[in-house]
Amino acid sequence: MTDGSAVPSVSAARRGPGPVVLTGASVLSAFGRGTEALLAGVLSGRPAFAPVRRFDVSGRRVGVAAAMPGSPDLRTEVARVVREACDDAGLVAPDRARTPLFLAIHVHPDLARAPESDRPRLGPGAFTASVAAECGLAEHRLRTYTSACVAASTAIADAAAMIARGQADRVVVAGGYLVEADQFGLFDAGRVLALDGQVRPFSTGRRGLLLGDGIGAVVVESAATAQGRRAVPLARLAGWGRTGDGYHSVQPHPDGLGLARAITAALQRAGIGPADLGYINAHGSGTSHSDPAETKALRRALGDAADTVPVSSTKSLHGQALEASGVLELIVTLVAVRKGMLPVNAGFVGPDDACRLNLVLNDPLAATPEHALSLNAAFGGANTALVLGTP
Amino acid sequence: MTIPTSVVSPDLTALTLAADEAGLRVLSAAAWPETPDDVAATPLAGFIDSTFSPLVAEAAGRALRRRDAGAPGSPTSGSVTAIVIATTRGDVTSAIRVASAVDNGRGVPPLHFFQSVPNSVAGHLAARWRLTGPVVCVSGITAGVEVAALLITDGDADAALVVSVDLAVTDGDRDRAAAIVVTFPDVQAPPGMSGT
Repeated sequence: MTDGSAVPSVSAARRGPGPVVLTGASVLSAFGRGTEALLAGVLSGRPAFAPVRRFDVSGRRVGVAAAMPGSPDLRTEVARVVREACDDAGLVAPDRARTPLFLAIHVHPDLARAPESDRPRLGPGAFTASVAAECGLAEHRLRTYTSACVAASTAIADAAAMIARGQADRVVVAGGYLVEADQFGLFDAGRVLALDGQVRPFSTGRRGLLLGDGIGAVVVESAATAQGRRAVPLARLAGWGRTGDGYHSVQPHPDGLGLARAITAALQRAGIGPADLGYINAHGSGTSHSDPAETKALRRALGDAADTVPVSSTKSLHGQALEASGVLELIVTLVAVRKGMLPVNAGFVGPDDACRLNLVLNDPLAATPEHALSLNAAFGGANTALVLGTP
Repeated sequence: MTIPTSVVSPDLTALTLAADEAGLRVLSAAAWPETPDDVAATPLAGFIDSTFSPLVAEAAGRALRRRDAGAPGSPTSGSVTAIVIATTRGDVTSAIRVASAVDNGRGVPPLHFFQSVPNSVAGHLAARWRLTGPVVCVSGITAGVEVAALLITDGDADAALVVSVDLAVTDGDRDRAAAIVVTFPDVQAPPGMSGT
């Protein structure tokens, strides 16, 4: 364990000179397929949590999640969402064939129940390769991220870093999680699921998290390449930061030191100050320890701006999508900012002194921020911050 | 660099080659098994049933101790070291154990919640060795070393611990792990990171 003074400041956040943009996005969530369904869902302010019917939850403490009807197949749905994002970006077949896929998933979904002889070929990398092949994407330079709830956001940061440095022109970054029995059983056994069936980030009386379906894909591209093919950017991916707490195997640093460094690095790369932020989609897991740590991180990194920047955790609406959280929540942020309406922090029952932030409550907030921040944190003390800017 | 190994580690060879390819300097290296004495990984408190996390901790601990050997004071102070775990299949043993409990209607052991992602053992290493760089888990050794190089180039870390780990999945196969600590030759080395 380490105290604040012993933690070094961020090394020296650097970025390559090239501007980075998002040119396409698609998504699946408990609100349905596509970005319009997601936007309508989060702006409705009504959480998508409902009793789980996809598998047996009779032995569990909690039986609620945010899941689409039925039992969609992860590989089929990830491939669909990736294709839709490529369509949205206007990528023609030769463009796709040159574009690598970075995919965030937990493990190969067939691994745990496969016969022993099949196990050697059931790595998550094989899953990524099969999705890339089905979508006509590049066969090489694929990458699979499995770092829990920062897997997708780390993949986005890495894609942006490579593009800014001219190491790549374009990367499709996707993440996928569909609520299933194994992770549900683990989270239930870990006693982190909200017994009251609601996620209440930064609220008094918050009881924990709930899982949610989430598959998202974004096309991350150099601004020059996008301009060269006359693509219209949806947003700039202006800044990014990734850090570790160096504190505990699964608990966040109680003072949010690592997350604060990630935010600072992301703002530094974006070339903006705290007051330039117009919205924060917080990690906001709704658990007792994580929300105060995140509040401290925001206060440490943003200073007085932490009192005024509108904040919500949209996990209160669509649930926790694990490895896919980073891309799902970045897409929520993207569509909300483009619409000019910021989603509410649902489930709020009253203020907690340890979580004082300018939360969006009751109704969506009409606003047109030039910059917005999306935060994620995970086991291992891993933190990421992504800054979107208007194109 | 010499490491006390009498057992060939293809993973360590692959890590070192990938580091060379990326222009990274290898500050220290380790593997499991390294010698015929490496029969069973030392258990790691809080982690059960599977050798995945203990092997990561063992290989990484060896590499970090070798990096720090002879360095006075706190060898990692002032440095931001990333942790990258590269694995082809992840913790197969734990995944099978959990699936079996779910399918048989038994309770899932709560400790499995905490070891359900490779981040947890990375967090253990981060706390034990005061590593405050990013924590990233990817599929494959080449990807792991490329991520390490990118994190250092991009300034979110000035060094990286890259650990490769894979569990035996068929008869005759063997659990194995390897670890290297890398930086770029032109990265300003903080005190205690001068090992070669």
